[in-house]
Amino acid sequence: MKNTNAGILWLKSHTTPFILSIPLLILAVLVQAYGDTLLVRIVTVLFINLVMVLSLQVFMGNSGILNFAHIGFMGIGAYTSVLFSMTPQAKAATLPDLYPFLRPIHLPFLPSLLIGAIAAALVAALVGYALMRLSDAAAVITLFALLVIIHTILVHWSIVTNGPRTLFGVDNYTSLGISTFFGILVIFIAYLFKETPVGLKLRASRDDRYAAASIGVNIVQVRWAGFVLSAFLAGFGGGLWAHFITSFSPYAFYLTETFSVLSMLVIGGTGSVSGAVLGTVVVTLLREGLRAVENSVNIAGVFPNNLVGFTEVVLSLLLILILVFRPSGLLGSQEIRLANTIPLASGKFSASELSRESSPKEGEHV
Amino acid sequence: MLTVENLQVAYGAILALKGVSLEVKEGELVALIGVNGAGKSTLLLTIAGVLRPVSGKITFGGDSLVGKSPEEIVRRGISLVPEGREIFSSLTVEENLRMGAFVRKNQAEYQQDLEKVFALFPILKQRLHQLGGTLSGGEQQQLAIARALMSHPALLMLDEPSLGLAPALVDQIFDLITRLHQQGTTILLVEQNVDRTLQIADRVYLLQTGKVKFGGTAAEVRHQGEVEKVYLGGVE
Repeated sequence: MKNTNAGILWLKSHTTPFILSIPLLILAVLVQAYGDTLLVRIVTVLFINLVMVLSLQVFMGNSGILNFAHIGFMGIGAYTSVLFSMTPQAKAATLPDLYPFLRPIHLPFLPSLLIGAIAAALVAALVGYALMRLSDAAAVITLFALLVIIHTILVHWSIVTNGPRTLFGVDNYTSLGISTFFGILVIFIAYLFKETPVGLKLRASRDDRYAAASIGVNIVQVRWAGFVLSAFLAGFGGGLWAHFITSFSPYAFYLTETFSVLSMLVIGGTGSVSGAVLGTVVVTLLREGLRAVENSVNIAGVFPNNLVGFTEVVLSLLLILILVFRPSGLLGSQEIRLANTIPLASGKFSASELSRESSPKEGEHV
Repeated sequence: MLTVENLQVAYGAILALKGVSLEVKEGELVALIGVNGAGKSTLLLTIAGVLRPVSGKITFGGDSLVGKSPEEIVRRGISLVPEGREIFSSLTVEENLRMGAFVRKNQAEYQQDLEKVFALFPILKQRLHQLGGTLSGGEQQQLAIARALMSHPALLMLDEPSLGLAPALVDQIFDLITRLHQQGTTILLVEQNVDRTLQIADRVYLLQTGKVKFGGTAAEVRHQGEVEKVYLGGVE
């Protein structure tokens, strides 16, 4: 087998990330070329959401553990990255009590993003090993507690977060191009992780953790790896968002955002990367559409009072309907792929090889 | 190869195995038969490390297995295909097979092994990219055995592989076990289908309420008439 042949075979059976990325890439290019400011903003947010939802899918989809702590890692990534990317002057204005050693640091955007992601991953790595021993409801409740703890720290650590007040003075670095790049990169990372040995073991442990353990899977270890990668990517997402919105408070990284990202993943389908992408696109566009409807209804004065929360109510109803009628999401655990590109048995075996009786050899086990 | 000596296993206060001794030699097909509750599955689960014995010894290739984790025991070459074929239903057939191969160091042999498994189970090749949960019962059983084979077990333990399968599939499974045995795989088989089992096994242990009632060759078991006694009445 030549390497190039093997590579083509591999690509043929892994068309999913390409099928998912190409329409999104086309959308980004079209919007960049012809879209107005509002549309550019919507699509930029779409790609940031994509990073958040896919990073959630990396852990939650493969391990089957509902992860409420996810947005906490987004917060860690956001605050850490801006501490490195802001100019000393901006820091002096918004964070007057900042630790002296942090004041003069001023790094470019990408290294700052990376540091934010590493910070989130480090926190996940430290608390994760103990947490990953838990399963089912115990794991969910503990992860929720972790979100509350991270939130409380962000609210009270005024020296670096400006406390519950808004932190401002962040430069706007996250353009449509940057968010598109990371959104598509994360599609590939999430898909490839699923296919790695660790991802496969994690999915096996989701199906039946006792059976997986009995064939040699160290459940805590594979869950931990997924958790840390997921937090790393969430940290990236947080940094991207922070440098898009440019001023924010710890309340941005709490329940509203948690349920927003969770609903995107659940509506699309937790078990697959395709589902996560579809859910993000559908919910983001639907939300913008509903907001526009809400605004025009209010401006036109159809009702005596202003319509409030229309968007949230419709999205919640949608979530309920999905959970009732398609509990595994729009796409379930199946990936979108080109139908007839899966080579039968890697295409390596001929029919004659199959039908022949296997000749027994002494001392050799099948 | 595998020796079990005076093994006692308890579920809470109840002794399920009351001092069982048996031996499996390399290349043998040894069957455990006995009515429900005799302790057959308990014995397999204890050898696999899922249950801990109260007392007694289990040695495999000279090393004691008592107190080792299931993971460690799989690495030493004992694979259990549990009753009720616990395959990973949301993984594809191919991924299920890859799961079986993880404990081995040599991944280069993977393709070769896959080919051998397909020769034994042609249906799995057709189903390669289907989810495990969408297979029929017989196909799932084949997949469970195939997955165990992917780990190159020195000893393959099968817990009631014909349970709940249609008669035609039962024949297939027994043919398969015979073929594996002929190829040199050492097998410890638990079965309720006594007739078929006596036809293919080298040696048989008859378990009754946690004890070995009789051990011998299949022919001896037939002549002693012990099987009828155990299955048709006369419990002590």
